[in-house]
Amino acid sequence: MNQKEILEKVQAIAQDPFPYLKGKKTEGRKILGSPLADVPSELIHAAGFLPVTILGTNRPIVKASAHLPDNACSLSRSNLELVLNYQREDFDGFVFPQVCDTTQHLSDIWKMTIPSEFFASFLIPRQVDRTSARHWFYAETQRLKSQLEGFSGSPITDDALRKSIRLYNEARTLLREIYQAKRMSPTLISNRQLFDLIRAFCFMAPEDIIPLLQTLVSDLDAEKSGEEKKRVIRISLSGIVVEPAELFGLLDELKVSVVADDLIVGSRMIDYDVPEHEDLIMALTERHFSKSPFSPIRDVGTRLYDHLLRRVEETKAEGIIYFHIKFCESQDYDLPDMKSVMRERKIPMIVLETEYQTAAKAQTKTRLEAFIESLYGEQIHG
Amino acid sequence: MAEKEPKLTAKEFSKQLTQKYYEGAKHAHEQGKYIAYTTAVSPAELFYAHDVIPIYPENHSVMMITHRMTAELSQSIERKGYTSHLCAYARSDLGFRELQKSPIGGIPDPDFLLACNAQCFTLTKWFEVLSRRYNAPLFVFDTPQFIRDKRAREEIIKYVMEQIYEMIESLETLTGKKFDFDRLREVVEYSRQASILYKTYLDMASYKPSPISIFDALINMAITVYLRGTPEAVQFYQLLVDEVMETKVKKGIGVIPNEKYRLYWENLPIWFKFRDHFKLLASYGAVILTSLYVHAWSYDFDPSDPVRTLAENYASVFSNVELEERAEMALDLFRRYSLNGNLMFLNRSCKAVSFAIHELRDIITEKTGIPALIFESDMGDPRFYSESQIRTRIEAYLETLDQLSFERERGLRE
Repeated sequence: MNQKEILEKVQAIAQDPFPYLKGKKTEGRKILGSPLADVPSELIHAAGFLPVTILGTNRPIVKASAHLPDNACSLSRSNLELVLNYQREDFDGFVFPQVCDTTQHLSDIWKMTIPSEFFASFLIPRQVDRTSARHWFYAETQRLKSQLEGFSGSPITDDALRKSIRLYNEARTLLREIYQAKRMSPTLISNRQLFDLIRAFCFMAPEDIIPLLQTLVSDLDAEKSGEEKKRVIRISLSGIVVEPAELFGLLDELKVSVVADDLIVGSRMIDYDVPEHEDLIMALTERHFSKSPFSPIRDVGTRLYDHLLRRVEETKAEGIIYFHIKFCESQDYDLPDMKSVMRERKIPMIVLETEYQTAAKAQTKTRLEAFIESLYGEQIHG
Repeated sequence: MAEKEPKLTAKEFSKQLTQKYYEGAKHAHEQGKYIAYTTAVSPAELFYAHDVIPIYPENHSVMMITHRMTAELSQSIERKGYTSHLCAYARSDLGFRELQKSPIGGIPDPDFLLACNAQCFTLTKWFEVLSRRYNAPLFVFDTPQFIRDKRAREEIIKYVMEQIYEMIESLETLTGKKFDFDRLREVVEYSRQASILYKTYLDMASYKPSPISIFDALINMAITVYLRGTPEAVQFYQLLVDEVMETKVKKGIGVIPNEKYRLYWENLPIWFKFRDHFKLLASYGAVILTSLYVHAWSYDFDPSDPVRTLAENYASVFSNVELEERAEMALDLFRRYSLNGNLMFLNRSCKAVSFAIHELRDIITEKTGIPALIFESDMGDPRFYSESQIRTRIEAYLETLDQLSFERERGLRE
């Protein structure tokens, strides 16, 4: 396959992973779904299952409204809708993390409305700044391991886990290389393509995506010749997820290039590898605590902004587009302080409220256009 | 000695304690004492044992809500970019900081913040905002959902206990003073006694007719929320229990005449409306007797192992267990209090207590056969309260109960 064919294939899976997942199921692989974030995919993979991140649906909400009030965030509603209404038979079980009030309740609702062969709560620590969080993550990961072993009927060997860890590390490394290539030559790959690759990584077995990414990396290397002539505005994205994915297409239309982000379905997913460690559960624990901040998880109070500021600085991003999931309470509390920090630092930032079911494209486009024009203006006058 | 002083009523004593508590807090800094903000369900015993004054912004917010200040306070922070669908406690509190308006002249700034997420996650984010504002350390006391898996529970208690030790270290750093575990045992013993008496008081709602309604419970719970761990809280609940026993129970006096419907209330109250609701319901012979919310402070402490008992009690509060277990807790109240009606308030302000309400209703209705009314509003913001709509729905619900009991009397229904 050439670069174009690979991108098309991966993008098709990113947009609709279920034909791919059905194929895996017919091969005898059980599918375990997990909403965001921080479930150790390596462990599920090593147990012989296929870990799949549940990333909601843009299709209409039909059944979820009867279970979740209308001020539940768009992500939780569309996650519930996806599995309850559209793709129920594609999942064999769930590993369910809890990060906020909504996910805690969603977990209860899920167990009652979507019976499955396997359901494991993965209770990640909602603080990361003290030793107890490490001890807890370690214990909870051990508990998950036992549950997975109970479901598969055989122990997860160190060899299997080490192999899975290497595969995931390799896939992440390749995705980082592609991201880095885009930073160097923004037009090498579109925003939509880059983030579709990361999205596909949420759905695909690492052994399936790695060969495709390897070909892409070598093709991109070959292409990376000559300096970019046209000026492209370099942008950092911020938030948790960018949905619907057409928003990336909009960024492409507006000729801006994403060079950094602090998204959960973004850099936070690919930037941190599992370190070498004799104790593999400890290695997974180390990875968890090396990650960049995540809004609902308690961290040093300013780390969310400090981290974003550092990324902006390192990548020379000229502005920040913040994606606010409608009714995400965690982001609601962050935003006013975040805006004032960026104002003080004179970093242009725009906040877009997003919902899975409506792209509100015309309005969003107008606002983004105005924002980007202002960035060109800054450049001229600055 | 307390006996020699002129005898106060429970209401007078409660007022006196509250004034003393807020006065003390106001002058804490002058006296070299530290102020810690904490959340209603949290191991506040650690503060009392270490001579740090715990202040409950939630409690202060309730005062602002009942004084109908929330809409104005909230608007002041909505202009700063906060949205109107956040918790009304948080909005009232952040608004207070913006406008410096408060019915009690405000609360002192924090030196330290503790947010326990057994109650909710919102508090941790709200306190994070305050922690940045005052540059004061925030300790998130993390209590993973207390799921019914034996191994998970053991591990959770271990994790929570480790955090209590971390918290103690933080307090030692804050004050430069060594923590005294004997003192902690003493404080937990006071908490144990106050909690037992508080529960005894709540359980008086099982008498027929009930001498108290939930509105009495909501007023009287304040003392255990902010003074548990002190001898005064024990004295107060002893006085309260004795008083209700003498003046109501022994005389068979109910809180309303002609008690017909004994209702359960799901969620926090609509604080600014509860007197109106009481009157409306009473006109139908209905009275709300209890809720899981008021029982959130019915703890069962064992002072011989204070760290473990704090961990066990605070991790297992109703808002932090799985839905089935929470339903069982509610069903236990239905049985013990002979409840025959169920008002379920979907509180826009409180995702933590509201979100699985439909599933909760299904379980309770299936087990009790009692129909439930689910209605939506906000516990603190009158802008989200539709008077005529809620009134009509409550009236229609009570008429349904009337119809059902009529059919039962006539043998038309089981």
